[in-house]
Amino acid sequence: MKKPRVCILRTDGTNCDRETAYAFERAGGEPHLVHVNQLRAGEKKLTEYQILVIPGGFSYGDDVHSGKILAVELTSFLKEQLQEFVDRGKPVLGICNGFQVLVRTGLLPAARIGDIKTTLMHNNSGRFECRWVYLRVENTSCIFTRGLAGRLLHFQAAHGEGKFYTDSQNLSKIEEGRQVVFRYATSNGEPATVYPDNPNGSLNAIAGICDPSGRVLGLMPHPERFVDLVQHPNWRRQQFREPHGLPIFRNAVTFAQEM
Amino acid sequence: MAVVEIRVANHPYLTDPAGEEVLYEIKHALGIDAVQKVRTAKVYRFEGIDESAARLLAEKLLAEAVFQDYTINAPIIKDAPVVVEVAYKPGVMNPEAASLMKAARDLGIEGLVAADSSREYGFYGQDINSQHIDVILERLLVNATVERVVTEKPATLLISGRPGQTEIIPLRGMSDAELMELSRDRLFLNLEEMKTIQQYFRNIGRDPTDCEIETLAQTWSEHCGHKTFKARLLVEGRVKEPLLKRLQEATFAANHPLVLSAFVDNSGVMEFYDGWAICGKVETHNSPSAIEPYGGAMTGSGGVFRDVMGTGQGARVIASTDMFCFAPPDTPREEIPPGCLSPHYLLRRVVAGVRDYGNRMGIPTNNGSVHFHRDFRAKPSVIVGAYGMLPVERCRKGQPRPGDLAVVIGGRTGRDGIHGATFSSGEMTHRTTEVNASAVQIGHPIEEKRVADAILAASEAGLVRAITDCGAGGFSSALGEMGEKTGVRVWLERAPLKYQGLRPWEIWLSESQERMIIAVSPGNLERLLEICRGLNVEATVLAEFTSDRRLVVTYENEIVCDLDMEFLHHGLPKRVLPARWQQPALKEPQLPIPDALEDIYCRVMSHLNVCSKEPIVRMYDHGVQGSCSLAPYGGVEQDGPNDAVVLTPLLGSPAAVIISHGLNPVLNQIDPYYGSLWAATEAVSNAVAVGANPGELVLIDNFIWPFPDEESLGALDRAVDACVDFVRATGMPFISGKDSLSSTYRGKDGEVIKIPPVLCVSVFGRLPDVKRTISSDFKGTGNLIVLVGQRNLSEMAGSVYYDLYGYLGKNLPRIDLKTVTRVWKGIFRAIQEGKILACHDISEGGLAAALAEMCFGGGVGAELNVPAGERPDYFLFNETSGCFLLEMSPRENPGKVLAGLPHVVLGQTRDNPVIEIKQEGHHLCRIALSTLKRSWKEPMERIFGTPGEAREVG
Repeated sequence: MKKPRVCILRTDGTNCDRETAYAFERAGGEPHLVHVNQLRAGEKKLTEYQILVIPGGFSYGDDVHSGKILAVELTSFLKEQLQEFVDRGKPVLGICNGFQVLVRTGLLPAARIGDIKTTLMHNNSGRFECRWVYLRVENTSCIFTRGLAGRLLHFQAAHGEGKFYTDSQNLSKIEEGRQVVFRYATSNGEPATVYPDNPNGSLNAIAGICDPSGRVLGLMPHPERFVDLVQHPNWRRQQFREPHGLPIFRNAVTFAQEM
Repeated sequence: MAVVEIRVANHPYLTDPAGEEVLYEIKHALGIDAVQKVRTAKVYRFEGIDESAARLLAEKLLAEAVFQDYTINAPIIKDAPVVVEVAYKPGVMNPEAASLMKAARDLGIEGLVAADSSREYGFYGQDINSQHIDVILERLLVNATVERVVTEKPATLLISGRPGQTEIIPLRGMSDAELMELSRDRLFLNLEEMKTIQQYFRNIGRDPTDCEIETLAQTWSEHCGHKTFKARLLVEGRVKEPLLKRLQEATFAANHPLVLSAFVDNSGVMEFYDGWAICGKVETHNSPSAIEPYGGAMTGSGGVFRDVMGTGQGARVIASTDMFCFAPPDTPREEIPPGCLSPHYLLRRVVAGVRDYGNRMGIPTNNGSVHFHRDFRAKPSVIVGAYGMLPVERCRKGQPRPGDLAVVIGGRTGRDGIHGATFSSGEMTHRTTEVNASAVQIGHPIEEKRVADAILAASEAGLVRAITDCGAGGFSSALGEMGEKTGVRVWLERAPLKYQGLRPWEIWLSESQERMIIAVSPGNLERLLEICRGLNVEATVLAEFTSDRRLVVTYENEIVCDLDMEFLHHGLPKRVLPARWQQPALKEPQLPIPDALEDIYCRVMSHLNVCSKEPIVRMYDHGVQGSCSLAPYGGVEQDGPNDAVVLTPLLGSPAAVIISHGLNPVLNQIDPYYGSLWAATEAVSNAVAVGANPGELVLIDNFIWPFPDEESLGALDRAVDACVDFVRATGMPFISGKDSLSSTYRGKDGEVIKIPPVLCVSVFGRLPDVKRTISSDFKGTGNLIVLVGQRNLSEMAGSVYYDLYGYLGKNLPRIDLKTVTRVWKGIFRAIQEGKILACHDISEGGLAAALAEMCFGGGVGAELNVPAGERPDYFLFNETSGCFLLEMSPRENPGKVLAGLPHVVLGQTRDNPVIEIKQEGHHLCRIALSTLKRSWKEPMERIFGTPGEAREVG
């Protein structure tokens, strides 16, 4: 089957682009690193791609708010292209800084650009932290986690602004709409309410959400850092059937191929 | 034009982590209880726009209604008795300003000419007085070197100024006293050097410009010229070759087949696999970090990354390391010399600087260490390393050709860091902070990331003839060195400036960060500029390489510098320096053998040089790039420390890079020869412990020394002798290095503080298959615990154990290089054969600390027998490097696996999470792992404790 073309969107300060590209390669996709300037100049168009990923990093230094400057740029110059991409049901993934960007464009949770309902605040600890955390996969219609519901995944979180926050009305909407895809969990799989299992103080232990269609996903931890077994800190003492990040990318590739 | 102010704060009912962090510091670091609460707000200022545009900015960019409020031209923290705003001083680059300008442009806002941001603090509490606020500001929130308290709204955000003039210095007619007055605080040259310069200008029949004098001072500075390392030494009546020459000749003689480039480029290069090479460089940034630790550490990281980026025809940075030496964080305030910052503040701010630069650049920081000794209270040692990857075919230093153009890419030039090179070469005094404020700046990692991306693209396109970074000495150093063999013609007025008002020599010498120079053939220029444009990197043709071997700099057609390259680079008088090391008068203590070891075991584990540094490591992104295959901490609870980092930088390939280091300053106080052997042995042992092949490792040296008076130079001479002997005995070459010989403090009352001399040896190497590396955590129960290596247990001097009793001692570990070389080979072979389940190198805290850490990682206990006749405390706490603890399956025969190596089976791992130590059936120690772990974790958790972490979510 033809490999779906994956647009890995870069800009100043993006720094998880290479490993994200590698994750898609491992999953059978055809990743392309695309600079936002190339989209703005019209050298490349989003319509050329089947999957869009905004990878991790510190876009524009995370000045003002994490991901904000890039979100403003996307909303100002690429609104139509982006909205069209989403409306056509193509998968969009935001990891870490990419999640922050998606939230700040409004693509999450409502899939509507300019409609900002949730936020990712500074961690309760007030600082950047890097540690492996457990994520419980919730039962949702998210296309990225097909076949994973109920699983406990181990990913690295590495961020300073990852505390998911919204008002109670929007929170219940997201919960009732089954848009919570990942929750920080204890090693027993219970939603994590305290540090460090919940590394940032996120409401309802929310680590990742999707839009109502399940095709736009954002999460703070890094699935692309666990697509080879040796990337896990304890591969020398633990057995894994397969690296936990891989199925997420494979699901996206499969979905795009079937579209 | 009017300035509009927008203030943004979290909704009052939400948490404010920044405010809580400040409150925590006020209570814990300053001990002020009058402050009950701190709230923070961001202040943004914009010049050239009206209020309606400001409202648009507030709503679309600055404040998110979900969790924040904003005000325009009005206070936002209204209910706090004291509100203080802290901002960068004018002229200190605020990295956020450019993003504000960009986002405003993206939102279609017109007319904006300048933007700035700062932070406001509201302090709550009935009993706060102005003294409290002064202490909080002075010791916590405002570093007067770069920051200030804003008391009134600024009329403009623009820094204005007219370009300054070039001055002629009447050097030819100066007396010796006048020459030295000119040198002091500015040039840091000695009288002989000043007179050499004077003679040069007398010979050519004119006086120099300020630019020429400054260029010579920079090139001849200790920092850039390494005068001490290049001088011949007079030791006990015997003339010895220069230190640098001895190191380089040892490397040359070792003739290591994997070395591709040693000591000639910005970093040392060794062969990797599949057409790739790896390179490494380790730098120090002690002087700037001592006066502004955050900015100093940031620019230290930024500088060493650029060294790697500027290797060959450009390299990709794949790892960062950090090694620090501080005074104990609880050193009483009154013991900190005037003009120096508290070690608690230094430690936290240096860590924050390394964190913010590496994380933002996307470079994993996954190897490092922190050492504490009282004599670092005046000047810390801040060491940062970087490692990179580049194709073998582009790994050799490039040479510009006449007609090639020099393009400066990256950041703009400002007044930052003027005199950084000369300043770093001077001793620190109580005047340092006042006189040299401009020597520090705030780094801009995103600018450097852009530059890194541009260099890789240009390098892959084959456009780079030669490349170097603008580090110490700025354009002067970069272009002066690049053009040494050809000559170079510089148009200084072309340099993009942050603001007007710089004199030509300031532009020339400025050490503004994030700038690189690429030499490009004229035919490739347009493609290079296009790559830079596409990545938002400013690029400007600044100079042309010539063939006249002259350094000619003009500023708007006025010649501001015209020097002969020969004089510039080779005119520095060669020195012969007297060196005499004197063995310090030290004694061995007579310690009683303790009855119970539990208490001393805990105290060893909580010693600052043994305790867990995990809270620091957690702030560094060690997983970015997806390459980390042995994390700094691993094991069941992810808190068991590993000895080295293993990276697989070519994703999908098992080929691995191993990086580690070693240092032990206190041993150098006893004897720098054996202290240095210890450091090098420790560095290599750390790598070997995870599976490195000792035949495929290379070394980097960093000497951080007190000012080289006769005695310190004698110590340095011995340290270099040790390095040379190490290379000869092991065959491992040094391929890069750096000396920083200014770590002496002179107070105005005559107080002199010398740091314990530091030799930090870094090691890197390659391994074809990551699967044949191991970690330190015990893998199971009932497994054998084996000690490998040769120790002389009476060699306890410099140990943590002695330190706990207040002794230094005299009899320090004397590493036997022959034995240790055999041990390394044997361990490498055993790991390759899969015979070793876990391995940990023995260092500070001795065998007992290594054992505890392996237990922490494995979540298992251990039962250990101290061999009959050995003194148990020395057996457990001796710190001879080059020794290892191994875990082996009981099915293996250690006698066979480790045949020919000194080894002893000490005991077994146990299910019960307790460490039990016996000697001839007699109980010496029985202690719960949890107790040991608490002792081991507590010290750094106290320093880096955070306010939010214990709180429930919600």
